Amino acid sequence: MTLTLTVNSASPPLGALLTAEHVKSTVNVAIDQGKETSLKVADSVSFNDVNSIVRYLARLSPSHVLYGTNLLEQAEIDHWLEFSSRHLSGQLGSALQELNSALSLRTFLVGNSISLADFCVWSSLKVNSTWQKYFSEGQAPCHIKRWFSFLSNHEVFKSVGGKWTCASVQPQSKLTTDK
Amino acid sequence: EVVDSKPLAGTADLDTLLGKNYGALRDIVINANPSHPPLSLLVLHCLLRKRFHVLSTVHVHSSVSNVPPHLLACFEEQDKNQSRHDFQLGFTLIWKDVPTPQMKFSIQNMCPIEGEGNIARFLFALLGQQQDPITATLVDSWIDMAIFQLGQGSSKEKVAVLRTINAALGRSPWLVGANRSLADIVTCCVVLQAAGPVAIPANVQKWMKSCENLPEFNGVYKLLQ
Repeated sequence: MTLTLTVNSASPPLGALLTAEHVKSTVNVAIDQGKETSLKVADSVSFNDVNSIVRYLARLSPSHVLYGTNLLEQAEIDHWLEFSSRHLSGQLGSALQELNSALSLRTFLVGNSISLADFCVWSSLKVNSTWQKYFSEGQAPCHIKRWFSFLSNHEVFKSVGGKWTCASVQPQSKLTTDK
Repeated sequence: EVVDSKPLAGTADLDTLLGKNYGALRDIVINANPSHPPLSLLVLHCLLRKRFHVLSTVHVHSSVSNVPPHLLACFEEQDKNQSRHDFQLGFTLIWKDVPTPQMKFSIQNMCPIEGEGNIARFLFALLGQQQDPITATLVDSWIDMAIFQLGQGSSKEKVAVLRTINAALGRSPWLVGANRSLADIVTCCVVLQAAGPVAIPANVQKWMKSCENLPEFNGVYKLLQ
């Protein structure tokens, strides 16, 4: 089965792209360029927001365990998905303190392995200019900085980050021909 | 009242869902603001009580005063002679000055869960219903749309969302699939609270009547006084 994820390269949905890249061994997602973010999953069903897209991809590939190993982790992941879309755009305020303390004794945001929470929170920070400034000037809270750098060196993040986030890089049209 | 306090399912269910319990009562503690009662969570509380033996209590935090009596009496009276050991699940509602509902669960290391939609997802999951990926994600996407665009959006956004809901209800009696789902519970509760001066389209009105007729919605109307 091949799904088509439509993205606008001017504001790529990084969380969705990371998730698609991570599950590519079980779910084939072709990337297409368009105006609005969208994942078509059936004739009459498309998901148009990042959180729905990542939830669907994670559920479609349970072997990757991206949506928690139990209900408690699943609830934590839901919490961080909402946090990433509601509290990490624009001014960061107290959100960074909350995130920093949540990461103080952890390698990953939820449980003992990478999850949708890591993908979506990392993505929101990655494109946030306040965060970029803190990070480049060495003012980032230490636990977030450690976690952010650790993920940035992860293969999936390197691949997606390299393709989609450098302003100087032109949209890669060859991606659209994978269908 | 339709609430049945006898457990219909054994503790084995909760052990499977939440990991083995070593004697302590599994306690769900929810902080919510009395100026914006989390209606959907009270509907889910009602469903949990049909399924499990739930010890329900209401408290008031010192950050709020003058909580109206109907919010203090939002749970049924319970038999005070039973000990905590007789229950499978604790459900504690604390009226508190919080910007958004928060849930804490009696498990170490679990972060507090914020947001009515996220808490609703967790409570509903305790009922143990399995759904395929498309259905489950459609439900999630209605919940987010209801809470953020209908609950917190501008009048223009509210009108647009109500139109979308109306169109969906023109094709099917419930928002997702053939039966009432968590999407109906959360969305109907948000419409009840947030539509305000915005006109409710016909299909939405009809569907709200169907929701009202569900036994688990009984307690909600008392809270809307």
